[in-house]
Amino acid sequence: MADLSLKQVRKSFGNMTILQGIDLEIGSGEFIVFVGPSGCGKSTLLRLIAGLEEITEGTISIAGDVVNHVPPSKRGIAMVFQSYALYPHMTVYDNMAFGMKIARESKAEIDRRVRQAAEILQLEKYLDRLPKALSGGQRQRVAIGRAIVRNPQVFLFDEPLSNLDAALRVATRMEIAKLKDAMPDTTMIYVTHDQVEAMTLADRIVVLKDGRIEQVGTPMELYKKPCNLFVAQFIGSPAMNILPASIERAGAPTSVKLAGGMTAQLPLKTPETATGATVNLGVRPEDLRIAGNGEDVLLQGRLNYIEQLGEVQLAYLDIETDQPLIAKLPGGLEIQRGAELRLTANPEDVYLFDESGRSFAARESAASA
Amino acid sequence: MTKLSAIRPLRPASRMNVWAVISKTFLHAFLICLGIVVIYPLIWMALNGFKNNAQIFGNPFALPIGWSWANYVQAWNQGVRDYVSVSLLVTVASGLCTVLVSAWTAFGLTRTKMPAKPLVVGFVLGGLMLSPTVAVIPLVRMMQALGLYNTYWALIILYTAFRVPFSTFLIRAYMLDLSRDLDEAAVMDGASEGQIFWRITLPLCRPIVVSCVILHVLFAWNEYLFAMIFSSGVGAQTLPVGLTSIMATHGTNYAEVFAAMTISALPIVIVFFAAQRYFIRGLSDGIGK
Repeated sequence: MADLSLKQVRKSFGNMTILQGIDLEIGSGEFIVFVGPSGCGKSTLLRLIAGLEEITEGTISIAGDVVNHVPPSKRGIAMVFQSYALYPHMTVYDNMAFGMKIARESKAEIDRRVRQAAEILQLEKYLDRLPKALSGGQRQRVAIGRAIVRNPQVFLFDEPLSNLDAALRVATRMEIAKLKDAMPDTTMIYVTHDQVEAMTLADRIVVLKDGRIEQVGTPMELYKKPCNLFVAQFIGSPAMNILPASIERAGAPTSVKLAGGMTAQLPLKTPETATGATVNLGVRPEDLRIAGNGEDVLLQGRLNYIEQLGEVQLAYLDIETDQPLIAKLPGGLEIQRGAELRLTANPEDVYLFDESGRSFAARESAASA
Repeated sequence: MTKLSAIRPLRPASRMNVWAVISKTFLHAFLICLGIVVIYPLIWMALNGFKNNAQIFGNPFALPIGWSWANYVQAWNQGVRDYVSVSLLVTVASGLCTVLVSAWTAFGLTRTKMPAKPLVVGFVLGGLMLSPTVAVIPLVRMMQALGLYNTYWALIILYTAFRVPFSTFLIRAYMLDLSRDLDEAAVMDGASEGQIFWRITLPLCRPIVVSCVILHVLFAWNEYLFAMIFSSGVGAQTLPVGLTSIMATHGTNYAEVFAAMTISALPIVIVFFAAQRYFIRGLSDGIGK
């Protein structure tokens, strides 16, 4: 059982600051996923927790003990590397047993734990093989097995599936989910840039950008209540449509006028002072639908391009903005390129962000708190 | 029409095949000639060890009439045994020291954080520029002062000192290509720096280490300048120096000299053939990248 606490953790390499004051509390047994674009500092944060990098400022505590200067092997942490990092000259058995041999555990204990881990991961047949004689998925399982035998309090995964092909990625993702179920008390921290992995595996997701935490929440919280434009666009595929607009009448509901001239009534409370303010309106492609007769039209544009995916189709509309508007429509719907489409969405599925990119909904809940 | 269009694209391919066969044949012929040029003198030397002076001068390129080992036995008993022992000792000891010192140095230069690392790398590799000939007189004075002059210890120390820069250069290049993730995985497993070196990095450097050993053996076994200056006394002479004295003593018995030379060359040939796979892999992995 180990909860993890990060307080004002900063990391700099020379003059370059990579992480700028990370505050995060991770509960015991939680599955936390760090996501963010390349260079946002997610892998660095993981390496700081592992102890592979020294933190510049702040404290990291595991189970209440500050571990800033505790060597990696004494932190009760095991890490699975993106490259697997299996020792190529050792057999699978020796790879898994290496840590315990270093710790001078008894041979019987080493053998018991290695075979137990091999059984969990179905690696019994491969114990005498060298890593080069294994497939990518098997190597990844060995890397996980090497971590399991150490019986860690905290498991760290650094983009463990990124070297696998799509099919194997799905299979290994499910194995990791099963592993989590089998080890309910073990805290797991997982770094990825793949939001499908993040959404499917995480208890909570930490979204990072430029060395800062943008938002922490359950997958559905991030999807339904993004606190700013970055999170709104980062979570969800295709990304949320962002349209320039202005507040015609603030209050509750808020009346918004889009750049194309259309207006929309949103069930959102905005401060009276916001009337006339420039804002961004956000709507997810999957929340848009063809407006029925008598329904209010939210957006209207000419269909420029269609990506047919079978179950759904992605319609790209020209609405006279810099970016095309994307709508995820049913795959069976008959639409023609060049047609004028009138789209609508439920008002509660439309988001409003102020000029700085902050969500009005988040502002409102912060104010009420 | 259909037939013609089907045949047309085949023509250049078949022409290319002919040229490929011709160039391959030439390449093989060239390699065979090169092999003969390299191997024939060795075989000729070994065969002459089975002849006597009359046969050597009468018909130098003929096969020996009898296959008597007498010349080899005589050469072995008349000093070659002692020279081989000293050469073996000096080569093995200096080879071991060179590889260990170089591997540790390369590990330090590639895996540790240190201030002014490029300067240290330059300093270590700068040893490559030092000419042994220029250093002879100071080294003689130094060895005399240390009481090591005319002992094989002098050669062990000097061979190690002069080969460390080159071996470090090779091993460092190889280590730079090894994944750092392995070190970090070992750190997570609780390994110390020493354990990482001995149990992870060094075993992974086996091809380049073997290459360095072979290169060192070639050097130390055949080195003449230092051997002549620092171990000319009886009991400390290595094979190159010893062979010279055999030639001086038994200069008229060429068969015995050939036998002695064959015995001296044999270990190198055996070492090279035994480890050539690693040698080529190590050099192509290390220097090539």
